[in-house]
Amino acid sequence: MDSLWHASVIVLVLLFIGGSDANPAARRHSQLDVNHKKQPLQTFRPYNIAHRGSNGEIPEETAAAYLRAIDEGTDFIETDILASEDGHLICFHDVTLDNTTDIASRTEFAGRKRTYEVQGVNMTGWFTVDFTLRELKSLRVKQRFSFRDQQYNGKYNILTFDEFILIALHADRVVGIYPEIKNPIFINQHVKWSGGKKFEDKFVETLLKYGYKGKYMSEDWLMKPLFIQSFAPTSLIYISNITNAPKLLLIDETTVPTQDTNQSYYEITSNGYLAFIRKYVIGIGPWKDTIIPPENNHLGPATDLVARAHALNLQVHPYTFRNENSYLHFNFHQDPYAEYEYWLREIGVDALFTDFTGSLHKYLEWTAPHQNKEKKCRGPPA
Amino acid sequence: VRLTCVCVRACAGVVVAAALLVLGCASSGATARPLVGAAAAKQPLQTSRPYNIAHRGSNGELPEETAAAYMRAVDEGADFIEADIVATKDGHLVCFHDVTLDDTTDVADHKEFAARRRTLQVQWANVTGYFITDFTLAELKTLRVKQRWSFRDKSHDGTRISPIITFDEFIDIALNAKRVVGIYPEMKSPVFINQHVKWADGKKYEDKFIATLKKYGYGGKYMTKRWTERPVFIQSFAPTSLIYAADLTDSPKVFLIDDVTVRTEDTDQSYEEITSDEYLDYMREYVVGIGPWKDTVVPPTRDNTLTTPTDMVAMAHARGLQVHPYTYRNENRFLHYNFRQDPYAEYDYWLNDVGVDGLFTDFPASLRRFQDWTAAKN
Repeated sequence: MDSLWHASVIVLVLLFIGGSDANPAARRHSQLDVNHKKQPLQTFRPYNIAHRGSNGEIPEETAAAYLRAIDEGTDFIETDILASEDGHLICFHDVTLDNTTDIASRTEFAGRKRTYEVQGVNMTGWFTVDFTLRELKSLRVKQRFSFRDQQYNGKYNILTFDEFILIALHADRVVGIYPEIKNPIFINQHVKWSGGKKFEDKFVETLLKYGYKGKYMSEDWLMKPLFIQSFAPTSLIYISNITNAPKLLLIDETTVPTQDTNQSYYEITSNGYLAFIRKYVIGIGPWKDTIIPPENNHLGPATDLVARAHALNLQVHPYTFRNENSYLHFNFHQDPYAEYEYWLREIGVDALFTDFTGSLHKYLEWTAPHQNKEKKCRGPPA
Repeated sequence: VRLTCVCVRACAGVVVAAALLVLGCASSGATARPLVGAAAAKQPLQTSRPYNIAHRGSNGELPEETAAAYMRAVDEGADFIEADIVATKDGHLVCFHDVTLDDTTDVADHKEFAARRRTLQVQWANVTGYFITDFTLAELKTLRVKQRWSFRDKSHDGTRISPIITFDEFIDIALNAKRVVGIYPEMKSPVFINQHVKWADGKKYEDKFIATLKKYGYGGKYMTKRWTERPVFIQSFAPTSLIYAADLTDSPKVFLIDDVTVRTEDTDQSYEEITSDEYLDYMREYVVGIGPWKDTVVPPTRDNTLTTPTDMVAMAHARGLQVHPYTYRNENRFLHYNFRQDPYAEYDYWLNDVGVDGLFTDFPASLRRFQDWTAAKN
């Protein structure tokens, strides 16, 4: 079963490479060819993280969205890892299939709608944990937002974690991966693995299988760059015993407590907590509107979160940066590049999660194409 | 005439000062600093790359055609500030886009004007509202301009930042700038204006428009020394107004072209007719360029993607005519999907792929950034 999926994704990858904008004359090498020296990951300027792939243009977390992101110059492709009923790890953001697949039109699955509690709230829909991988593969992904391009709806299917990793490894330059241990409490409640393993174990196992290892900025890491992210601190602490790859603690809205430890935003952003979690993570990934809360769609006064994080040598990777004007505070006059400029030059964060990796890449290339003498210090190796 | 000049300059000074004051208070956050150094010497107009034309001022950020919107555009590095010139009941020329006051002023809140709402025919359609030609300049000055679009910053609506300004005040903003800033005024709805406003000296709207420009020393063919010191393009959708103006001034003129379904206001000609080879050959005697609606140059599909470009740009360029399409806006609802909701991708396509000579934009700061950042690459 696995080899069939791998073969199909390789075919898909090759087909897409054929149609990409990249130089057709360039020979295609992959990280699997140890004799070939790929263009390395840039590390002199903030990281460009393709949030769910280039999902501003193509339905999120599909092969096409990731391949487009790589074409557009992203540093990292980002994904959310959930699980299927039969324990396969998949790339998918929501616990339910409703908003980004054609599940509602699949009469064969009509009877599988359920209501479950997810992070203290009842949700109704078709849950990924109630479908086998084969069933999930029969679905087709669609663009989540009505104001984005709908022309690819129904064309692509859901990827496995393995397939996602292979897309990164097959790129003809070094492209990092940024997977999230998503909704681990919920997943571990609904999906069981043999041998006493749980979701976090399977997650790391997959990474180790493909040779991802090494502390931040080590030689191993630079060859296969990786950040592991999660909103659940205990998941990150747990996996610290099985991988030394760099990890980031995601931080949600100020009203949302952590799903595993039930701690408030204020607790987990306190100096004491940041000093504690610094033993396990090299950075934090906050929602940008908590760093600088807006007032009437203008930026309010900035909090000191970035300064305090940096003082502890924690990187800051805020989410999410989107081009559409409904997401831009008026200070930026509806210009996503003004927002990049503000966050990267004024606030000085270390990376951005963006739905529009192509735009961010252009901004970075136009304003910081080369490393200059005074290298910006982004925090020590973990 | 001299007295008027002095009076207008004084008034304009007050308008400008007020705008400066309020701008200082209104702007907040680190992004409000100007892109062009305020202390710079009077730097000439750039003519080496396509023109950045601030359409109605920096109206993406501030209410359109106000002093504040124009000054913001100057601050942000626009090459030209653009305005629509219409006339008041007592014959003053003012900067205002619509013939009615409804969409962009607080006229509906002024009970004293309630009875003035009426229905008139404008370009063969009945329009109901408060017509600017029914108000004196003094009355208009009691109104406040507001941001037209609900999705743009409305925090300046109704503040003292935003009265309607006169053509004179607009010109003063350009001339008072610390670098050479061109003006791009439009002879707007001339047929309607001439129907409803009469000047005592028997002159008509076009005469008054050109006289104002001359009063401030605008004149000279495109790229003459005189022109580069006081750059101007005169635009209009009405060919007869442009031809008439050609007798009064040698300043460069641009022929605006509307959507494919819209006929010219004065000559009742179709889009096909005015974009034909013969017609462009004819207009070439009077204008230096055309200003088409961008979706007629490269038509979009119903799925919001671009189709094949028409040959309009090639036809214009073959006749030595510049092409200045309108209008470029940052908001994603105005961007075809090819541009992935990125206004800079749209600039890139139009300036580098299609190869036009100027862009009317609601966001001169964004266009300026794009041009500066990619200058080295070109």
